[in-house]
Amino acid sequence: MSQIIPKSDNNQDPYIFPQGLAGFGSAHAFGFIYAGTGDLVCMQSFDQVEASFILTAWDDERLGCPPHVSQDQLHCLDMTRQQLEAGDDVLWMLVLNPFADSTWVTANIRAPILLNTVTRRGIQCIQHDTTLALRYHWMKHPTAPALTAANA
Amino acid sequence: MMVLRRKSGDVICIGDDIRVVIQEVQPGRGIRFAIDAPVEVPVHRLEIYKIIQQENRAACHANALQWLQGGVNVADHTKE
Repeated sequence: MSQIIPKSDNNQDPYIFPQGLAGFGSAHAFGFIYAGTGDLVCMQSFDQVEASFILTAWDDERLGCPPHVSQDQLHCLDMTRQQLEAGDDVLWMLVLNPFADSTWVTANIRAPILLNTVTRRGIQCIQHDTTLALRYHWMKHPTAPALTAANA
Repeated sequence: MMVLRRKSGDVICIGDDIRVVIQEVQPGRGIRFAIDAPVEVPVHRLEIYKIIQQENRAACHANALQWLQGGVNVADHTKE
């Protein structure tokens, strides 16, 4: 099970994404900011200020095991398959989209983020399986009427 | 756009670091090729990559941190 990183991450070095992110090819260095909101963190690019995302940890119970990682992707992370399988230095994250739907915050299951916390490298693991959801209903939006009513 | 005619086994180079090897040409089934590129070059099928690009752009927000802190009204920012 992944845990949320940056709560306890006192290392100030950025995470380097050698491939950038799809659509943000010049964004290679990212920092994580924990805003005190549950298991959500902000991933902020240092190169491209507009590249700012909300992430949460991959949830094995809801999604099953994280996807397969290719040898090229491992190379990009400067990691061996044994290290990946041991899981100690690995964090799987999901990019959340709070802006696509007024009720649901969605998660991109087709392109999770994989971090190596030792080498501080990251990659977006794009899956070619089109059955994986781009906008998986992750949680009700904090401003959604149902949630607001439930909390009232 | 450059257009090349190549046979099975031929290689195309893109810059110094990228090689595309034509492995197999099967009429009616398409072309199988191998791409050797540096790790920092993402290589994907275009139709897949475009979808992820679009979704990343849709999920990106200059005020993501502010949203986390409850300062962004999603109704004002909902986008495709």
